[in-house]
Amino acid sequence: MGQTIKIDPVTRVEGHAKIELECDDSGKIEEALFCVNELRGFERILVGMEASTLPQITARICGVCPTAHHLVAAKALDNAAGVEPPPAGKLLREFMYMGHVIHSHSLSLFILAGPDLVFGLDGAVATQNIVGMVDKDPDFAQKGLRLRSLGQKINETIGGRGIHPVTAVAGGISFKLNPAQFDKLKELTAEAVTLSTELAAKTKALLFKLFDENPILLEKLNLPTWYMGTVNGGKLNLYDGDIRVIDEAGNQKIEFGAPDYTRYIVERAVKNSYAKEVYFDFEGAEHMYRVSTLARMNVVDGIDTPLAQAELEEFRKNFGRPCHNAITQMYAKLIELVYACERANEIMNNPALAGETRVPAKFKGGRGVASIEAPRGTLIHDYEIDEKGIVRAANMIIATQQNVAAINENLKEGANNMLKDGDDAMLNGLEFIVRCYDPCLACSTHAIGQMKLDVEYTRNRKCIRKVRRG
Amino acid sequence: MRSTLIVCIGNDLVADDAVGHAIHKVLTDSSLPEGAILKFLGLGGMDLLEAINGEDLLIVVDAVQLGGDVGTVHILSWEQLPSMEPRPVSGHGIGVKEAIEVAKRIYPERVPGDIRLVGVEGICFNKVGHPLTPEVQRAVPEAVDVILRLAAGETVS
Repeated sequence: MGQTIKIDPVTRVEGHAKIELECDDSGKIEEALFCVNELRGFERILVGMEASTLPQITARICGVCPTAHHLVAAKALDNAAGVEPPPAGKLLREFMYMGHVIHSHSLSLFILAGPDLVFGLDGAVATQNIVGMVDKDPDFAQKGLRLRSLGQKINETIGGRGIHPVTAVAGGISFKLNPAQFDKLKELTAEAVTLSTELAAKTKALLFKLFDENPILLEKLNLPTWYMGTVNGGKLNLYDGDIRVIDEAGNQKIEFGAPDYTRYIVERAVKNSYAKEVYFDFEGAEHMYRVSTLARMNVVDGIDTPLAQAELEEFRKNFGRPCHNAITQMYAKLIELVYACERANEIMNNPALAGETRVPAKFKGGRGVASIEAPRGTLIHDYEIDEKGIVRAANMIIATQQNVAAINENLKEGANNMLKDGDDAMLNGLEFIVRCYDPCLACSTHAIGQMKLDVEYTRNRKCIRKVRRG
Repeated sequence: MRSTLIVCIGNDLVADDAVGHAIHKVLTDSSLPEGAILKFLGLGGMDLLEAINGEDLLIVVDAVQLGGDVGTVHILSWEQLPSMEPRPVSGHGIGVKEAIEVAKRIYPERVPGDIRLVGVEGICFNKVGHPLTPEVQRAVPEAVDVILRLAAGETVS
């Protein structure tokens, strides 16, 4: 198990994303490479640790999606110990996770992308920030910030902490909700559903305005690929289910459980970046595929909650299924935000939530594998744990890593179409393409703002020109 | 009665970035002036919006790099607070100033009457697992003293 893509926010507090564009003699871009300098290490650090600490330790991989790592590690421990958490344990984990998704998607849509939505892509830098956004549209900003905060409070009430939760353990959840926590969660989830509905209409209007103002993005960024996402009974499920893969025409190719991922997912080291490209190996051929919000909207048959299902139907009416355009990722994120609020409310009102939350778990020696839909796509943790409960090997497939090949393709197409527009427009355009994927390669690149960015033009692998910002 | 909120910010795993945490620890064991509340936030950012509640005085405590001698305890007024970059690349790029500016617009009733930043000049912010540098460690009692006097309504500059 030699796979080594990992995120360490502590070492990545600063840094540049680099894009390399390989040109032919006529100046046409033949290849684009999105490069990151990732720290390789977590999978090694974990070896020799007590398995029971994995949910806490792996949550620290990322400050953006800690709850995804926390929960998938706990699920992998269930798998290794051969236990199934009781219904209340599973519901509480999923409830915590819905809080996290509400938090993460709200942060991404309303705080980081918010200024782009409110001002458009060409807004003046001086006003295109959170304060400017609040000035321009205080109601939108207030509701967006409030929804983010509600998500974090749900995550904190169940997870014990707002950012890096601690309560998921092998076999379930380490505590039971008391009446005061029940009441608090009831209030939080009801408010979240109301707010998400109000925000959805407004955000949709802003998204359509953005699409209308940037027709070239809709035209040129159509990239047919395969898609991967988790379904339960064919429906969207972010916490648990089988991994479904469809081809570029929307045909379902396969559904498999997380432990079988090594049969299909292959990694390949690439030049100039620590982020390996990942492909889907199916019936003797390798296919480029994508994960994340758009991929999930493409793979699911439907969504079990009514408001999100209505949004999905509208999305499909506008963009078809499968939709191949990366710039609709934000729209897909909005649909999931509505779903997460509704699902949290559903769980809140499920009487099974009051039951036992944990079963004993003992490691007998063997492998534990699990997956979850992290905000940015399918996340897999795979551990070898010995009979003393010590981690002997660890492997992780990170969501963003699976999108790198598609990011590169989109960059190539985008760069060829924007070459004539000058350096600033080119930087903004390329950055926007990267942002569509909301990549969480590290803390410095996960977000939507003005990235520090280097673009290098190369010919025969030799740098012929550099454009730099930041 | 005068109300004061003391918010300490920092990362206790990273050298001088831990000074807010170290000060918080000392203040937790100190007797605070009447009407003073103490909170700890790992990051300032938007979470500050939820922490404030219209207090008369907000004291934000954090490590700073303003170019002074290491270990200097700075007391900054609202007007002197530095701004972050206009376009943050992450939620971490939203500072105290931005959070308060946002609060003024959407939760004006939560904005504290007066705001002070007590900042300890640090030098090492990139070593995980390292303790405070000695100069910063030595500055902790002075910072605590300044905070307690501000919270008690004294004029400290």
